[in-house]
Amino acid sequence: MSEQKPVAEKKAGKKIGCLGCSFSLGIFIFIIAVLVLFIVSLALGPIGQGFLGIKPPEWLTVPTPHVLLPAEEIFHIGPFAVTNSLITSWLTMLLLILISLLVVKRSKLIPSRFQSLVESVFEWLYNFCKEAAGEKNGRRFFPIITTIILFVLFNGWLSLLPGFGSIMVHTAEGHELPLLRGANTDINTPLALALISFVFIETIGITSGGFHYLKKFMNVGRLGKGFGKLFRGQVKSGLGDMFFGLIDGVVSLIEFISEFFRIISLTFRLFGNMLGGEILVLMFLFLFFVTPVIIPHGLELIFGLIQALIFGFLTLVFASIAATPHEGEEH
Amino acid sequence: MDAETMRLLAAGISMGVGAIGPGIGIGILGMGAMNALGRNPEARGAILTNMMIAIAMAEAVAIYALVVAIILIFVPVAYNV
Repeated sequence: MSEQKPVAEKKAGKKIGCLGCSFSLGIFIFIIAVLVLFIVSLALGPIGQGFLGIKPPEWLTVPTPHVLLPAEEIFHIGPFAVTNSLITSWLTMLLLILISLLVVKRSKLIPSRFQSLVESVFEWLYNFCKEAAGEKNGRRFFPIITTIILFVLFNGWLSLLPGFGSIMVHTAEGHELPLLRGANTDINTPLALALISFVFIETIGITSGGFHYLKKFMNVGRLGKGFGKLFRGQVKSGLGDMFFGLIDGVVSLIEFISEFFRIISLTFRLFGNMLGGEILVLMFLFLFFVTPVIIPHGLELIFGLIQALIFGFLTLVFASIAATPHEGEEH
Repeated sequence: MDAETMRLLAAGISMGVGAIGPGIGIGILGMGAMNALGRNPEARGAILTNMMIAIAMAEAVAIYALVVAIILIFVPVAYNV
């Protein structure tokens, strides 16, 4: 027993990897291989073609990337055009519904591994909502915020799988278009989500504050009081009230416009980040066709998660602002 | 330099210069939030919420610049030739 222990420790200290080599040798070989692939792809790609005049074979050249801002239409159902990003968002919805059905229909008191995974995600999101909006409002806003976050997240992450952008299909008009395209890179999906958020925030505001919520945007009360004072003869305080009432009115107009601007800012934040990530991946693919593409691909992972969380969090924060009653002005 | 080149150049410059201010602003906001969080880790929820609101307001300015750049690139204009 005491002779076997030193032998085992010696073997563990040398860390036998595959093929009998040591572990550090394996890492060394891996790094060398990555560097060689990087230099080869630099030389054979467009940079090498430009500087050194090498003509690589046909199957190694990557065609010049075309980035189209509007999503390409694949087929028509009657007058309704189905674009490739719409197909992708249907896939996302299918995946989410499938996950929900699997967990809910077969839920047990002692959860299986898959159920506990989904439950832990939901618990994290629930704590997220409660942290940002308080106890009561967190529970109230939780369903729609979770839907928005999970939808945007799965849209972003699904578009990283192989097949998105490379499976080509021939349309009826004869073009050859990619069949699948990340749903967040089409401006319609973020726009739809931003409109839903806007309607949600306004509904929460109106149901929580009633008419006072709308009065916040047309704050002419002070101006009216100033006019009344003028007519009753108190000129000085009437003029002062009118002046400040005018300022109040302009500020409320700016707030009214900025409510609507939230739609645009939410849309373009998500759309710009997602489209920028996809353009980055395309450009890296064009310039080096092998190893360094992992860099923007991995960045898309992080950015998909961050942008989904930011979208949901901003909606949550705006809704919780709208839900709190406007305590105490100078009235 | 003809008008088409000028439009593309203007789009690039507008987005580039328009991102300086919001970038610095969001950095300052983050610094303030980190300072506050370091002093009082218990108030994490409130600090984070208010930081997010302020960042959304600052970022909206950068998005104005983005919208201008997108309009410059993608909206065709009839030139008086």
